[in-house]
Amino acid sequence: MLRSVGLAVLRLLVIMLLASMIGAVLIRVAPGFSSDEQQLNSSLSAQSIQAIKQARLTNSDLPRYYANYLAALLRGDLGISQSLNQPVRDLLRERIPVTMRSLVLALALAWLIGLALAVAAQLTRSRLLTFLTDGVSSTFISTPAVVLALVFVLLRLPPQLAATLLVFPKIYRYSQNLLQQSYQLPHVLTARAKGAGAWRVLAWHVAPMAAPQMLALVGVSVSIALGVLLPIEVICDVPGIGQLAWQAAQSRDLPLLVNLTLVVTFVTVCATMLSDSARRSFTRSAA
Amino acid sequence: MKALRWGATALLILAALAAIGAHYVAPAGYEHQFRESPGVSPSAQHPLGTDDLGRDRFARLIYGLRVSLILAPLAAALTTLMAALIGGIAGYCGGWVEGCALVIMDLFLSIPWLFLLITVRAMLPLNISPESSVFITFLLLGVLGWAASARIICAGTRDLLKSEFVWLARASGFSGFKLLRLHLLPNLRGTLLAQFWISIPVFIIAEANLGAMGLGVAEPLPSLGSLLRELQNVVTLRPEPWRFMPLLVLIMVVSCFQTLLNKNEVRT
Repeated sequence: MLRSVGLAVLRLLVIMLLASMIGAVLIRVAPGFSSDEQQLNSSLSAQSIQAIKQARLTNSDLPRYYANYLAALLRGDLGISQSLNQPVRDLLRERIPVTMRSLVLALALAWLIGLALAVAAQLTRSRLLTFLTDGVSSTFISTPAVVLALVFVLLRLPPQLAATLLVFPKIYRYSQNLLQQSYQLPHVLTARAKGAGAWRVLAWHVAPMAAPQMLALVGVSVSIALGVLLPIEVICDVPGIGQLAWQAAQSRDLPLLVNLTLVVTFVTVCATMLSDSARRSFTRSAA
Repeated sequence: MKALRWGATALLILAALAAIGAHYVAPAGYEHQFRESPGVSPSAQHPLGTDDLGRDRFARLIYGLRVSLILAPLAAALTTLMAALIGGIAGYCGGWVEGCALVIMDLFLSIPWLFLLITVRAMLPLNISPESSVFITFLLLGVLGWAASARIICAGTRDLLKSEFVWLARASGFSGFKLLRLHLLPNLRGTLLAQFWISIPVFIIAEANLGAMGLGVAEPLPSLGSLLRELQNVVTLRPEPWRFMPLLVLIMVVSCFQTLLNKNEVRT
């Protein structure tokens, strides 16, 4: 148990170290890194401009820049946003709760709808229901998040629902495939042949087989939902980290953008790790 | 279901033919401005009307379709190639090579795509030409989307190495490149093809999202994504339903790929 926790933490550390390294390189090699627009400020004295140039030169060495960047990151200093002129940490503190609320609501609804439809399709074995649910999920999979968000703005519907509609098809399809495979297993066929009720077969024979992979999907669905929320927040004017990332991209505010990506990566890695350990615990307890 | 697949194939062939023959189907061209008739309704001359700059919407749709239908499969091919190389080598070598490759794959899988895409896209110089922006956008999609496929290829290669026919091949003196070329790659072909087909609709949708947010293909070159930007003026949508045409075409193309995809998944 302790060993697996240690390994998971080590994996998290390595991934975050790599992500921060990529982030630092991106910021360092971005066009305009070596110059500061304050250098054009005519009200600054020659000494001040020289000091700004010197500060930029100090950071021009990539390993030194990365070391400084990492040290600041460890202190919790994520830098200053160039476009909004505010500490990135403060911006994140304001925006993360908004996105997290949307994320939790969207994921909860998506799992509810996706699982309910997959179970209904398997229990009823109705071709019409399968055709309809497949059609609906295909339509939402084929619809760009931006367009669905626009429709939601037009209809004045909650944006979290748009994220739900974009995430549920993936959960539905995966769950349906998984349930279909589980229903073909010999012990499930035997249980059905012996006359066990549909709900009993589902609860006692199918669900335990499908659960580990479903638990693994929880982590992946967090990453999918975060990706989907970005355009939705932009179009629906939700002040979350998706909208902040888009604003940063528009104004080419790379320090903000890279740190945002780092935070999002941390959230997804943690979610994946938690779902993986839940899957392992379930498999162990079932064995 | 068979009829549905035939229908999807026919629609895709039709779309591909229209896109390839864009010059003949829409001779107006995507950037020609009819300055005497900006923002007009559909007519015989302009089947989908013109945009605010007087450009023929139908021509822009056909040319946009060409950009998406040619470059998304190319990006998918690049992704599949990268996945085959990285996943194949990782699975074949095993040990620390596989461990390192898996950590890098985990890293790419942990970062939500769109965040990574807009970060890298925002780094590009402002003065790149529209043609370069098209290639860079799809190149980024291709380069950044390999991790999930590579994981599957890696696992597939590892499983194949444990199979009896590979043991026999090894015992017969096959190793290295020869083993990879004659035994591993032919057996991974189905998985690679499935990954290729899966990537195409994903890339079309990703480009659409980027384009609609103004971070995709640069003007005046159209793509299915950049054409969706017109939809942002939602107030004017109700009297002009023909503005939805790029969206309908996009949904149709992606749905057709999804329908064909199911068939390929069954085959593999």
